[in-house]
Amino acid sequence: MQGVLGAFAEIDATVEAIQDLRKKNFRDITVYTPTPRHELEDALDAPKSGVRRFTLIGGLLGVTFGYWVAIWISDYWPLVVGGKPVASWIPYTIIGFELMVLFGSLSTVFGMFALSRIPRLTMTVGYDPRFSHGDYGIWVVAGPDRVVEATDVLRRHGALEVRNER
Amino acid sequence: MATMAPPRRNDERERYPNIPTADNRLPGVRDYEQVDRDVIATLSPTLGWFAALAVAIFCLLIGASAWTYQIHEGLGAAGYHPPVMWGVYIVTFVFWVGIGHAGTLISAILYLFRAGFRTTIYRAAEAMTVFAVMTAGLFPILHLGRPWKFFWLIPYPNWRLIWPNPKSPLVWDVFAILTYLTVSATFFYVGLIPDIAVLRDQERNPIRKRIFAVLALGWRNSDREWRHFTRAYLFLAAFATPLVLSVHSVVSFDFAMALTPGWHATIFPPYFVAGAIFSGIGMVFTIIIPLRKFFKLEHMVTINDLDAAAKLCLFTSMVVGLAYITEFQVAWLSGNAVEQEYFWNRVFGQWWWAAWIMLICNMVLPLSLFSQKLRRNTSWLFILSIFINIGMWFERFVIVIPSLSHEFEPWQWGSYAPTWVDYAILLGSFGWFFMWFLLFIRQLPVMAISEVKEIIAPKMRHAAVGHHHLTHGDVAEPRVTGTIRPAGGTH
Repeated sequence: MQGVLGAFAEIDATVEAIQDLRKKNFRDITVYTPTPRHELEDALDAPKSGVRRFTLIGGLLGVTFGYWVAIWISDYWPLVVGGKPVASWIPYTIIGFELMVLFGSLSTVFGMFALSRIPRLTMTVGYDPRFSHGDYGIWVVAGPDRVVEATDVLRRHGALEVRNER
Repeated sequence: MATMAPPRRNDERERYPNIPTADNRLPGVRDYEQVDRDVIATLSPTLGWFAALAVAIFCLLIGASAWTYQIHEGLGAAGYHPPVMWGVYIVTFVFWVGIGHAGTLISAILYLFRAGFRTTIYRAAEAMTVFAVMTAGLFPILHLGRPWKFFWLIPYPNWRLIWPNPKSPLVWDVFAILTYLTVSATFFYVGLIPDIAVLRDQERNPIRKRIFAVLALGWRNSDREWRHFTRAYLFLAAFATPLVLSVHSVVSFDFAMALTPGWHATIFPPYFVAGAIFSGIGMVFTIIIPLRKFFKLEHMVTINDLDAAAKLCLFTSMVVGLAYITEFQVAWLSGNAVEQEYFWNRVFGQWWWAAWIMLICNMVLPLSLFSQKLRRNTSWLFILSIFINIGMWFERFVIVIPSLSHEFEPWQWGSYAPTWVDYAILLGSFGWFFMWFLLFIRQLPVMAISEVKEIIAPKMRHAAVGHHHLTHGDVAEPRVTGTIRPAGGTH
């Protein structure tokens, strides 16, 4: 993948560069930021995260499994007390709830990993350690015909450094 | 997630009067780079740290030796004496589970409530939670005659075709504690990932760099990662919030489901949850106050943060105090002679001193926090936190021991005296807890680097008033203040 990486010190310059790149029809833009910021998210106009689906499915599976395992155990070895029903849903709500939280949380983390494509073994192109430190980075995928244009946009908005990577 | 420039409109100011801006939250922190520098500086070991670790390991070894002795001799070594068959181990189990509540309260519940003061203290509190629950988890096993059979409580297909009874509070405990341990450890680790990435990028030692690289899972701070991360973090907080309340409720069911006088009360779940949060905040002060002093982090964990946490401490103390009074009142109004006798015995009987330690440490001394001067006095907060720890341990002692020793029939009455084995294992539990905590503070950041950066004003090229070009390396004057946007996908 060929592209241009620009490093910025200021957030407003980064936002303006993103807006300009999007105006010039660069579609594949990745922004690096030491901390999440709404203005970068707004400039990128990114879709909503899909993590919530993993959370919902994990939670539903957990609560179902929790009730099921408690009821199954009770039926497998019935302890009849005072003629009351063998499976008692009120105490089993504790097990259902705990497993909902357990499965829901783990599937949320799994969803986050899957959607963010981590764990990642290599850092791939277009990363610089300064992006976790204090600077913002913009990585634009640009073919040989558009590298100059992208470089120009990044420089115009005050990038500290611009470099081509492939 | 913080947001930059838009100058706050007046109506916003009125709607969120308690949300301070970044520069009055952390005036001593100028830019992102300083956050990295100051937090990473805490990772280099000092002589004091080695000494503290040595003491912790020594205490742990004392506890481990006592346990070995107990396994050899049987549970009789631990001072169990009919009718008191729940002793110091169950007391200490409830104590440590309680300590483990403040971390998730601070990291999850206060996160959902947008309480700004949590930002700088939550990482240490979260670590405390994980290690406290790890410590608590040892005690039900220590309390078993055959500790190597502890896994029989977990429902799994086994050749004996024996399953645990899902109506038993002990089985609920297994589910609640293991879920809590797993979820709080996951929450802790997920929050750490971006900060470990900072360590990876800053580290010079190749071996440590490689270790951090593996632990950071290839995190790159990209917008896509942050987008999913902030959502996942929000959902984890939303799960952890009711979980905090459920865990100590379930622990309280261990008592409330029994017919024993003093235990069989519907007030137990909220009473236990409030007590847990109170004791946890006490332990947060015990840990945070020395930490900020030795690591010179006073400009990050500000006195305003401690003041706010002290208010929470005062509030939970009053809830706990109300629960104590309510218990007595319920016994008084119940017309139940056994219940009344028990509560009389609690304050004037054999263990009157334990009950009064509990009442004074948990109900009376924290009232001093009504004084703003004392809330902002770190020495007093630290001393008070020690009293709270002692008071909360004795609260559990008062719940467990007098009830069991003074049940319905006089012929059932008995006494109890902990032995040196009990005390050694109690000491060992503190050694175990502090050993993990000390190892943590020298290997991983004690403060959430990326979240602290969120409340710092970002560097701006165009200031709100006039234009000023800020070159890289200049000191970022936070002329344009980052404000905390109270809604939306915050991290």
